[in-house]
Amino acid sequence: MFTKENFLKLVQTTKGRIALVAIAVSLVIPLVLSDNYMLQILTLIVIFTIYASSWNLLASSGQGSLGHAAFLGIGGFTSSLLAINLGIPPIIGIFIAAALSAAIGFLIGITCVRLKAWFLAMVTFGFSIIAGTLFSEFDDVTHAILGFRTPPLLFSQRLPFYYFAVLISIASVAIIYLIMKSKMGLAFRAIHQNTAEASMIGINTAKYKLYAFVLSTFFAGLSGAIYAHFQRYIQISIFAADNSFKPLMMSVIGGLGTIEGPIIGSVVMVFIDHFLVNIDPFLNSALSPLFPAVSNVGPAIRLVGLGIFLVIVVILLPKGISSLLHKMYRYIRTEQTKSEKQ
Amino acid sequence: MIDATTLIWGVAIGCIYVLLATGLNLIFGVMKLVNFAHGELLMVGAYVSYSVTTAFGLDVYLSVFVSMGVVAVVGLAVERFAFRRVLGADKLNEIFVSLGLILIFDNVAVLIWGENSKWLTSPFEGMSVQLGEVFLSYDMLIAFAFVVAILVGLIVLIKKTKIGMAMRATSQKSQAAKLMGINIEHVYIFTFMLGAALAGAAGSLYGVIFPFNPYIGALPTIKTFAIIILGGLGSIPGAIIGGLLYGIAEQSAVAVLSGIWGDAVAFSLLIIVLIVRPKGLFGERGD
Repeated sequence: MFTKENFLKLVQTTKGRIALVAIAVSLVIPLVLSDNYMLQILTLIVIFTIYASSWNLLASSGQGSLGHAAFLGIGGFTSSLLAINLGIPPIIGIFIAAALSAAIGFLIGITCVRLKAWFLAMVTFGFSIIAGTLFSEFDDVTHAILGFRTPPLLFSQRLPFYYFAVLISIASVAIIYLIMKSKMGLAFRAIHQNTAEASMIGINTAKYKLYAFVLSTFFAGLSGAIYAHFQRYIQISIFAADNSFKPLMMSVIGGLGTIEGPIIGSVVMVFIDHFLVNIDPFLNSALSPLFPAVSNVGPAIRLVGLGIFLVIVVILLPKGISSLLHKMYRYIRTEQTKSEKQ
Repeated sequence: MIDATTLIWGVAIGCIYVLLATGLNLIFGVMKLVNFAHGELLMVGAYVSYSVTTAFGLDVYLSVFVSMGVVAVVGLAVERFAFRRVLGADKLNEIFVSLGLILIFDNVAVLIWGENSKWLTSPFEGMSVQLGEVFLSYDMLIAFAFVVAILVGLIVLIKKTKIGMAMRATSQKSQAAKLMGINIEHVYIFTFMLGAALAGAAGSLYGVIFPFNPYIGALPTIKTFAIIILGGLGSIPGAIIGGLLYGIAEQSAVAVLSGIWGDAVAFSLLIIVLIVRPKGLFGERGD
């Protein structure tokens, strides 16, 4: 698979070049920025890339889940509990967690394949609520309510962990890319565009929707397991609706149904989550006299601003940031060919 | 055990869900728009009532009409500046816009009214009538009467008026409605404002029964979506029965199991209904 010819082929296409540059950047960046906090954020981005890509894969088959946090949580708890109770090393545990997540995804998928988009969104959302409730009901086993400290994944140092996460992330995105490029991916897109027409041309829509569900929940569970070992702590809050909306926001802002979309989205959203907080003190000192009802106006004003920003971005770029990059790329290309002709 | 009191609480909460669900169903039915920020309009409605009752000493039940009006205007702004611009793009973009709107609404409410819980004081506080072993508070009865009156008004509007006919036509086939000379943009605006006004009324009634803060909107939204799916998309009777059923199921689960089961049982009900009837109890078509 990784022969010299294939590599040369990869370098010849723009897509391949961009992918290689992205991989190179992800490998070199922690060496340049030796800041511990920055490294933590980069690792989060890498983990969320897997999570958002898994969601995006499911969405590409027309199934927009609003309950992916369930699989994030199942993955995280499975691997952590296996390590603590049975002493299974997390490096194996994360894959068991992913497999279990996929098995549960299969069961949910069976109920979902017959449903139209909105029904499916609510069923998946309901499932994440039910999963959270079950985990807190069986607290004797899960210890979910108070949470617990999770064991490290092979290495407790941050730098090796980052490289491990990058490795898994690249592999996951590559697999998802190959799926999207394959006949199966084509079937997903056909189903997304028009389920009735897709089944008319002979696509077994129920079967392919189920495939999408199982594959997506596998990677979601994997990302949840890595996330739990990265945080070194897991609690019931992993099932929160917020975690179900995150991959949607990342995929939409990056570019729905594209391979690069969730990656761009997770970079943007994780950066916003962690760095925008820094403007709070400034907002507090500048604007607090205007709002006497609140003691700490910074966060509220920042979040209003963020909300407005998100709405404007999706209005101006309905196909996400990646569509803007595509446009820019085409513009540069046409300019180049123009200047070559002259 | 599920006793009469649980049932009555279920109906009371169900009534608020019914108002939200009917509004959302109208918006979804006519515009095919997924407004995930619908519960935020309920929150705004409760706060508008709070402001006019504390600032002008207006009666809480008169303030329902004020909050319907104000929330309708808020709805106009939301439709005009946010949702209209993403209509026709991917449905997931609409959810994305809704999530942005939730951030905006929640935090603007924090800036205006603060984070602490507020409540509306009704002139009939503590008063109730006894029916056998059950106490029915005046407030619940009035809320019930309000919901019935609003629904009757709404059904008359949809069935008997010209704009109602235009709404039904647009919901069936917007392109054909356009060709028949219906200005569907006006229909959209009207529908959204109507749905928002219902949410505003729901908010005022909610505020009489429960304390509220800027973050109460999110969960009712999700439940309302579950309800309209339970009842069937685009079906107003479905929204009414679905809302009441959901309220009763939720309260029974809280009474029989424990507080944390309220949402889980209600969603389990939804999932079971969808397994048996993939288009909801009253649904004819699913989008």
